[in-house]
Amino acid sequence: MAVVTNTKKTSATNLWMIIFAVFAVLGAVCWGLQLTKGLQMTNLGTDNMWGLYIVGFMIFTGIAAGSLLFAAVPYLFKLEEFKPYTRIASYLGAVASVVAASLFIIVDIGNPERVWLFITSGNWSSPMFWDFIMLASYMVISIMFTRKLILLNEGKIEEKSVKGLALVAFAAGILVTVTSFVFSFQVARPLWNTPAQPLSFLIAALAAALAVMMILSHILNKSGYIKMPIGLLAKMGKLTAALLCIELIIVITEILIGLYPGSGEDYAAFIWLVTGKGAVSFWLEMVALVTAIVLLAKQGTSPKAGLLLGGAIIALIAIYLIKSNLLQAQLFNPLITLPGTPVYGGTTEPYVPSLLEMGLSIGILSLGALLLNLGFGKLNLGTTADTRKL
Amino acid sequence: MRYAMAIDLDRCTGCHACSVACKVENNLPDGIFWNRILTAGGKSMDTPSGTFPNLSMQFLPVNCQHCENPACVKACPVKATYKREEDGIVIQDYDKCIGCRYCMVACPYASVRQFNWKKPEYAIDVAMGDAAITPHQYNTVEKCTFCTHRLAQGLKPACIDTCPNRARIFGDLDDPNSEVSRAIQGRSYFHLLEEKGTKPSIFYLT
Ligand code: SF4
Ligand code: SF4
Repeated sequence: MAVVTNTKKTSATNLWMIIFAVFAVLGAVCWGLQLTKGLQMTNLGTDNMWGLYIVGFMIFTGIAAGSLLFAAVPYLFKLEEFKPYTRIASYLGAVASVVAASLFIIVDIGNPERVWLFITSGNWSSPMFWDFIMLASYMVISIMFTRKLILLNEGKIEEKSVKGLALVAFAAGILVTVTSFVFSFQVARPLWNTPAQPLSFLIAALAAALAVMMILSHILNKSGYIKMPIGLLAKMGKLTAALLCIELIIVITEILIGLYPGSGEDYAAFIWLVTGKGAVSFWLEMVALVTAIVLLAKQGTSPKAGLLLGGAIIALIAIYLIKSNLLQAQLFNPLITLPGTPVYGGTTEPYVPSLLEMGLSIGILSLGALLLNLGFGKLNLGTTADTRKL
Repeated sequence: MRYAMAIDLDRCTGCHACSVACKVENNLPDGIFWNRILTAGGKSMDTPSGTFPNLSMQFLPVNCQHCENPACVKACPVKATYKREEDGIVIQDYDKCIGCRYCMVACPYASVRQFNWKKPEYAIDVAMGDAAITPHQYNTVEKCTFCTHRLAQGLKPACIDTCPNRARIFGDLDDPNSEVSRAIQGRSYFHLLEEKGTKPSIFYLT
């Protein structure tokens, strides 16, 4: 009987892998189109020169950092119950997220064939260059950490030998605040130019990583790769809800502070967001945030896996909207708004990604999913004897 | 030596001649303007504010401000944009630009940097302007160069020579006898978004 179930699972997994592979190929086709026809294929423009790809980059850097924290904290603060899942978190940080984040940057830039200039001509005063170094170190740290955790699980090394690397991973995770510097260090962008941003980035990173871990655990529980008790999932849900509450407070206070004076550059941007062209997306963000918080926090005495899964998915949507709305509200409301000679790529507000941008992004996500599955299949990351049979 | 430009707002009539001169001189692709004339008036370009007969209109020509403390230079991850030490001009190296558009995000002066979203296309089949300009590139950011190619030939930027009202004055700010230094002397002026600390080299005379 057990054999039959396994076969069924295997074929379902295979089907998913085929779907992901097809989407990854589709993404590659979209990229090819974008490369040959130019970034005019996107809905980006002179004002909104950054869009979906940059938000994808922010979120996946966040997931990478959050996963590193998730993997490191149990060893530093002795949280025994989470230890079995740190291998998955570390691998998620190592491969899928860093690769996805890097790909989002690669597809965003006009001349990807020149990326080597990051190495030969890196500018130490550029926060984007710092991000490049961060992503590279995330990759190295999490690969090393994943390896150690696997060895630990196999009983080949002692737990104390993991501590040092856990500390490094923890520090690297906290340093995700550096990602926010790309935005928060810009004097030209007052909405981002605030100390709330680094904090908001750190919290969003943790929340996003927890949400992805919850979704993954749900899937892997079903396939028998791991056996995570529902109580543990519920705990992760509550923590995510608490983090989202802080995000909600940051978003609302920022808006109130901007709106209160009744005029000025912050006012213009926030009124655009709350009642202007950005309103639909903003109110969706509010609904998503509150729904995710309620679903994840209010679980009663017997938590339901389905509700937790729903909460985690909505939490990710909320985080996407937070980042995307903040980006747009600022880009569509630059410091100089006087009308003048029209240029190519003039403003069409609000920004909605083009089909090509969406296709390419789904392609990157699918590639990430394929890499995850490859890891689950080839490496010993799970907690049950079944692990290699996913 | 520090090149600077003064723009006399009392003289500017918003005729767009400098903008067109720049476009021709630098053979700018369709939809790209390094030098734009903004209108401080109504909701769209070249319209006045107020209600008839109490109308008012003011023009504000804006190109790269060749900042002494340029936000774009700090932001560029690969040093594709840099400040030339000998004369303070902020240069854009097309061959190095990876097209990340971070400089556009960083520059406070909206739209002075523009991106080639598609392969450059031109209104007419033959190239216009000076043969010495650097060819435009797909997927890169570009902006006003203070006509470095003309400076190298001992000429002034095209917009300066074209302005029919002599509203634009150019020269070396470090030389007290230069045209620009003399134009600024005794006049009241402002810099765009001075509070951002970029220290622009464009002086708006009022
Ligand atoms: S105006 Fe903008 S593009 Fe020009 S030097 Fe200053 S910051 Fe750079
Ligand atoms: S678009 Fe080009 S010049 Fe601008 S920051 Fe990126 S690499 Fe530098």
